[in-house]
Amino acid sequence: MLEMKDISRVYRTDLVETHALRSLSLTVDAGEFVAVTGPSGSGKTTFLNIAGLLESATSGEYFLDGEDVSKLGDNRRSMIRNEKIGFIFQSFNLIPDLNIFDNVDVPLRYRGFNASERQDRIESALQQVGLASRMKHLPSQMSGGQQQRAAIARALAGGPVFLLADEPTGNLDSLMARQVMDLLEEINQAGTTIVMVTHDPELARRAHRNVQLLDGQLANPAPFPQSGAADSAAAQPVA
Amino acid sequence: MFAYNLRMARLSLMKQPLLTTLMIAAIGVGVGACMTVLTLFFTMSSDPIPEKSDRLFAVRLDSWSPDEPFDGDLPTQAPWQLTHTDAMALLESPVPTRHAAMRKAVYTAVPDNVDLAPFLTVSRMTSGDFFEMFSVPFLYGGGWDERADENAENVVVLSRETNDNLFGGENSVGREARFGDETFRVVGVLDTWDLPILYYDVNNGATNDVEHVFMPFKITDVREIDGSGNTSCWKDEQIETYFDLLQSECVYVQFWAELETPAQRAEYQSWLDQYTNDQKTLGRFERPTNNLLSDVNEWLQIRQVVDDSILVVVSIGILFLVACLSNTVGLILARFVAKAPVIGLRRALGANKATIFRQHLVEVGLVGFAGGLFGLLLAYLGLMGVRSLIRDFTDLAQLSIPMVVLTILVAIVSALIAGLYPTWRVCQLAPANYLKTQ
Amino acid sequence: MEIRPILSAMWRNRTGSILVAIQVALTLAIVTNCMFMAKSRIDFIARPSGMDVENIITVQSLGFGLAYEHGPTIVEDLRLLRAIPGVVSASSVNSIPMSGSGSATGFRAGLEEDAPRETANYYVLDEHAVETLGVNMIEGRPFHDYEILDAGSSNGDMTEQVIITQAYAEKLFGDESAIGQRVYDGLGESGEVVGVVEHMFGAWVSWSGLSQVLWFPRRPTGPAVRYLVRAEPGQLDSLMPVIEKTLADSNRNRLVRNVRSMQDAIAGSYAGDRAIAVVLFVAVVMLFVITGLGIVGLASFAVRQRTKQIGTRRAIGARKRDIIRYFLTENWLMTTIGLTIGTFLTIGLNYFLAAQFSIERLDITYLVGGVFALWVLGFLAVAEPARRASKISPAIATRTV
Repeated sequence: MLEMKDISRVYRTDLVETHALRSLSLTVDAGEFVAVTGPSGSGKTTFLNIAGLLESATSGEYFLDGEDVSKLGDNRRSMIRNEKIGFIFQSFNLIPDLNIFDNVDVPLRYRGFNASERQDRIESALQQVGLASRMKHLPSQMSGGQQQRAAIARALAGGPVFLLADEPTGNLDSLMARQVMDLLEEINQAGTTIVMVTHDPELARRAHRNVQLLDGQLANPAPFPQSGAADSAAAQPVA
Repeated sequence: MFAYNLRMARLSLMKQPLLTTLMIAAIGVGVGACMTVLTLFFTMSSDPIPEKSDRLFAVRLDSWSPDEPFDGDLPTQAPWQLTHTDAMALLESPVPTRHAAMRKAVYTAVPDNVDLAPFLTVSRMTSGDFFEMFSVPFLYGGGWDERADENAENVVVLSRETNDNLFGGENSVGREARFGDETFRVVGVLDTWDLPILYYDVNNGATNDVEHVFMPFKITDVREIDGSGNTSCWKDEQIETYFDLLQSECVYVQFWAELETPAQRAEYQSWLDQYTNDQKTLGRFERPTNNLLSDVNEWLQIRQVVDDSILVVVSIGILFLVACLSNTVGLILARFVAKAPVIGLRRALGANKATIFRQHLVEVGLVGFAGGLFGLLLAYLGLMGVRSLIRDFTDLAQLSIPMVVLTILVAIVSALIAGLYPTWRVCQLAPANYLKTQ
Repeated sequence: MEIRPILSAMWRNRTGSILVAIQVALTLAIVTNCMFMAKSRIDFIARPSGMDVENIITVQSLGFGLAYEHGPTIVEDLRLLRAIPGVVSASSVNSIPMSGSGSATGFRAGLEEDAPRETANYYVLDEHAVETLGVNMIEGRPFHDYEILDAGSSNGDMTEQVIITQAYAEKLFGDESAIGQRVYDGLGESGEVVGVVEHMFGAWVSWSGLSQVLWFPRRPTGPAVRYLVRAEPGQLDSLMPVIEKTLADSNRNRLVRNVRSMQDAIAGSYAGDRAIAVVLFVAVVMLFVITGLGIVGLASFAVRQRTKQIGTRRAIGARKRDIIRYFLTENWLMTTIGLTIGTFLTIGLNYFLAAQFSIERLDITYLVGGVFALWVLGFLAVAEPARRASKISPAIATRTV
């Protein structure tokens, strides 16, 4: 499903080289729910950007759904993002000018679906996240939890091969956070692969497998993290 | 996708009404000012009779003083007009398909109806060929024939306006009209004939209106009627009587010839040269032979109908548009950079650079269209202002359909040019940078 | 306040800064040149004419029909006109000075080949001309009534006496007094200069010889005649209908037309210049507004972009006025860079216009004025965004989202 081999990412400025990822190798199988954890500066964001094809690795190979995506041009990468990846962000990233229906519509437009197909997909995605009755609402008229569910609907509508979630509950209170996590589990159980980046060990525990990053490398690949090991990395409460 | 982009553009523009208004205003003002002056410029410099402008020639002979050229600033030019003697001789030439001598005179029209006050009419005294040559549109009747020219018959062609004033707009062909002391038979009535530039006679005010009546040229000679156009003289000669003027070296007659082929033109040129050479033996034409045929567009150029002031204003107008566009570039850039997070999101959701580029060009184009409509309004007001400042420009300062279309197009293209750099910048944004936090 | 950090911030956001600078530069170039050209047109229009143009009414009478008698009509018309209360003086004339229509010919100071020869606008006027035109006679005398000849075959024929303007006198006779000198026409006929008028304009306002004028004591050639009627100050508008009616009723064998103020009669001569001055002035005003609003727009954007940064500055102790000063300084720097480029652009544009269209070389005070005007404009435009920036709460700094 998702296979990274020896992925490295180096950021260069005139003065310094920063190694954000060093020879990272990771495989995620279809149907898995993997949490990627690690402290600030461990390379989580870089991993997320590379996994989501938002940037390219400096070296290494990346296979997604059987296709080598590490050396593709911008157009093809855009297409893969559109067709195979569903993004879920910490700050929801809904477009404030558009209502929920139109927000879910955005990736489908780029896909080139016709109007009736789009309508079907939007409605069923919103049904799935329990927002079918809120289609005409603007993001600003909804709670954070509802907004995140709308964002999940947007990620699901295109029928992606995996969901890439970045601190999906980071901006939510604990009740809403639990609802969102329940929804993600539900989606996973229905067969969608999920890769979630988080620094919250509580969240990470709900995944099938935890991968911990430290200084751009896999640290101690254990099926389940020791709670003590995670503490040192992710001690900051969410503001 | 275009409709979708249009809807996205509208939403985005309505989100920040102030900035949007500013952009539309900047483009509108730039385009409005530019189109106001360009309308004047195009109307002035456009071909007044495109279908035959290359076959109509202003005819000039250099009959001026041996001591100095007619115009010291343009020493290669012959006088703008002909002497009466030469004009009458040229009318005898068999070469041109048509030709016309002409001058201007003023008549008092006296309506039959005694309740109506007499009024002043400007008359073009010319040859019967005039109407065919200049494709003059007729409402009733037509011009007069050669016999009327020869015999200086009292026939008249009325402008539509004069016919309205004298006959209430009825078909007056065959009826009699009184001008000054004489009675004239109406042979034709013109349809509306507006010439922004009175190209057949730019000597007496290039932006004047078409004359009120047209009469055979020789009437002025027979009845000794003073012309009202410019008369230029160089020779010290006693001019006591009307006959003296006819015999003098004073130039006051405009002359046009229609020559259909280059061969005909060459033949006419040598006929003219032969004529002036013959005249030299009589002690006239002491200057080097310089007989000139200029077609309509050459003629307008030689006479500098589009004068420097207009060109200065056009240059300023174009610079003005550039200044407004640089303004627009800044505003568009500002708003697009502010939209960076949303653009990053759309990129993450699968839009490639081309898609983003198109979407934002549509947005910019929409601003251009709105700016064009605003500019059109300003150009309309601007031309109205010009008309109120310069009465003679009434026919010039009119928005035409092509200019309306051009205005909108210029606005959209300007906006696209102004938006190209900001849009390109927007496409270069790395999507990942705008997704984490806002 | 340190300039260096502002400069480096501007460098990082150079596109916006460059755009403001370009805009200011273009605006300076256009505004300065437009104002200069507009002013030279206005100066051209405002040249003193030497005549009391504001109080003169012009009238045209055009005889027609066999019953029309030209000579007696003029005598009777002038008698009627002068009798109207409020009329100071009246004279017949062949054409209206400065109207763009008139006659000119060359005269010489003597019969010798090398005698100075100069062209002059000539007018046929009568013994009331000096008072009617309101010109200042500096030497000699007006015509006497018995010197006024009846209309001849041509208005340009020589008469026994002539009056000329000082500008023309200097051309023909140099520093010598013109009084008693003789002026010769092309046929060798001559007349004696009996008076010199300090200044008046002839027919064509763009002609270099505009101030070279000569008067003949004669009635104009028929059947057209024009009258100049000088009204008492303030009476002009009320007199015009009276004049029209008086003349129209007195004689039905002619048309009385164009009873209008001399200002109206000559308006056409300056219409183009006036229009261009107005157009240029409107362009200047619009460009100022557009540029000002553009700076407001870009400055507001800069403020919004830097909300967080401004909040942080406030949190670490910047006072409101420090924030305002920061933005004012930044804007002043951008404007000044633009004005520096604009100075070259202005001079370049002027060179181009001068080379292409015989526009005069720019008077440098206009450039200085333009620079100051744009400094003020930039200051005013950035004032409100800067004030808004100063209102940003320091608490912004601690917010993450």
